[in-house]
Amino acid sequence: MTTTDERGTRIRGEAVESEPKHRVVVGMLLTAGVAAAFGAALLSLPRAHQQLSEVARYALQVSLPSWNLTEPVNEVVYGTRGFDTFGETFLLLAAVISVVLLARPREPRTGYFGEDVAGEREQSEIDPGGAPDAEEREARRAESAESDGESEQSDESESSDDPAAAAATAPFPSKTSVEHRPKTPDNELVGGRGPERAEAMSIVVRGAVRTATPILAVTGCYLVAWGYSPGGGFPGGAVILGVLLLVYAGFGRKRVARVVQPKLMESIEMAGATLIILTEALGLFLKGSFTANWLPLTPPQTIRSGGVVQLFSGGELVEVGTGLIIAVFALLAMSHDWARDKSEDEDGGDNGGNANDENRENDENASRAANAGGADQ
Amino acid sequence: MIVANYLVAGFVFCAGLYTVLTRRNLIKIVMGLSLMEGSTYLLFISMAYRAGSTAPVLVGPPGGRTAHDLVRGNVADPVLQNFCLTAIVIGVAVTAVFLTIVVRVAQHYRTLDADKIRELRG
Repeated sequence: MTTTDERGTRIRGEAVESEPKHRVVVGMLLTAGVAAAFGAALLSLPRAHQQLSEVARYALQVSLPSWNLTEPVNEVVYGTRGFDTFGETFLLLAAVISVVLLARPREPRTGYFGEDVAGEREQSEIDPGGAPDAEEREARRAESAESDGESEQSDESESSDDPAAAAATAPFPSKTSVEHRPKTPDNELVGGRGPERAEAMSIVVRGAVRTATPILAVTGCYLVAWGYSPGGGFPGGAVILGVLLLVYAGFGRKRVARVVQPKLMESIEMAGATLIILTEALGLFLKGSFTANWLPLTPPQTIRSGGVVQLFSGGELVEVGTGLIIAVFALLAMSHDWARDKSEDEDGGDNGGNANDENRENDENASRAANAGGADQ
Repeated sequence: MIVANYLVAGFVFCAGLYTVLTRRNLIKIVMGLSLMEGSTYLLFISMAYRAGSTAPVLVGPPGGRTAHDLVRGNVADPVLQNFCLTAIVIGVAVTAVFLTIVVRVAQHYRTLDADKIRELRG
């Protein structure tokens, strides 16, 4: 089994890693060509003794006198090459919007002529021709159990993550039911069988997360606020994402659900984008050039010493932080859009199936027959 | 010998390219793209290096140098470091979009095999 691929044909060579590949020869040839071209190009690149480029020398000279910044990299990112960063910010925004669009569950489409009903089943099934197999049914059940559990748990009153409370609510965590998951795995035997169903992680991880997150959160803000030393909005935003992900991993989805709400996050992100646009546009209106400084400069090595640079960096913190949070949580929360499983009703006996349902089923049978007829031709 | 860094960056890029061209698993294709992105970070940072230079921070230069020396050169190139920062953020954004598409593809076709998702269905 390890030496054959899905079609049952033998894979040549040792089955160290029996992963199917394709176009190996073409790939090797192309890669070799690219490698040769790159090798030639890289060998003729300027080396370590080259003079600094004109832009770099300009940035180094201008950084302290005209921005009061002791950190030329920040000056380049948000000052000299601010337009570049500006474009990049909105590239990130565009990517976040595409992730949100792609990850969003299907919206009910209400057309004039019932198009929402016509293709509904085919659109959301793996194999429109046949009934769902065991694997698909299992996946549907697991997913619906999870989403039911989620809605149930959101009503539940928020209790702390200490083991006593968890024990009170779920004295004997049953591993088979997905709905009644224990809050923490602290009461479960170590090395027990089956997957762990707890929402949170064990006390060791929770303690570590509790210790690390305040430090990390402060670090993230520090990286941005002390803009005259290496740092800035991008690393700061990534650190903020890390804080939230640690809380999510350690304490479960519910803990972050109060903060990570799409509406709140998207509003904050748009506020950050607006701040960046205003910062740059005001430079255009007040000083005559995009990214020009229009704020009073304070002495070097103070928090506001960069003027506009610091404002831009702060806006970038908001933008990158929330943008990454939105993208990551949209990915984590993606669920499958299932059509209603008709075959289950058939085997499980109809529970007083109403006339409407039967009509729809008949329609579907008709369309299935039509499809089959089309396939025959 | 900063050339070694350049060549390693080229090698990492080629490894990523080979992965993208020959692997059939979509996740591995995305990993290959990430490798190609990573190679550009290494290349930028290596190109920013100057022999015997220091970090481009104009505060407290190492012994025997003044801020004026730093301004006149002999620091790592801040512009290329800026490029690297930009590239990292764009890399993250692009990877996020790719992964979302991969999840949707996996949900729709029930496979991550790039050879099996050519057909149009439904």
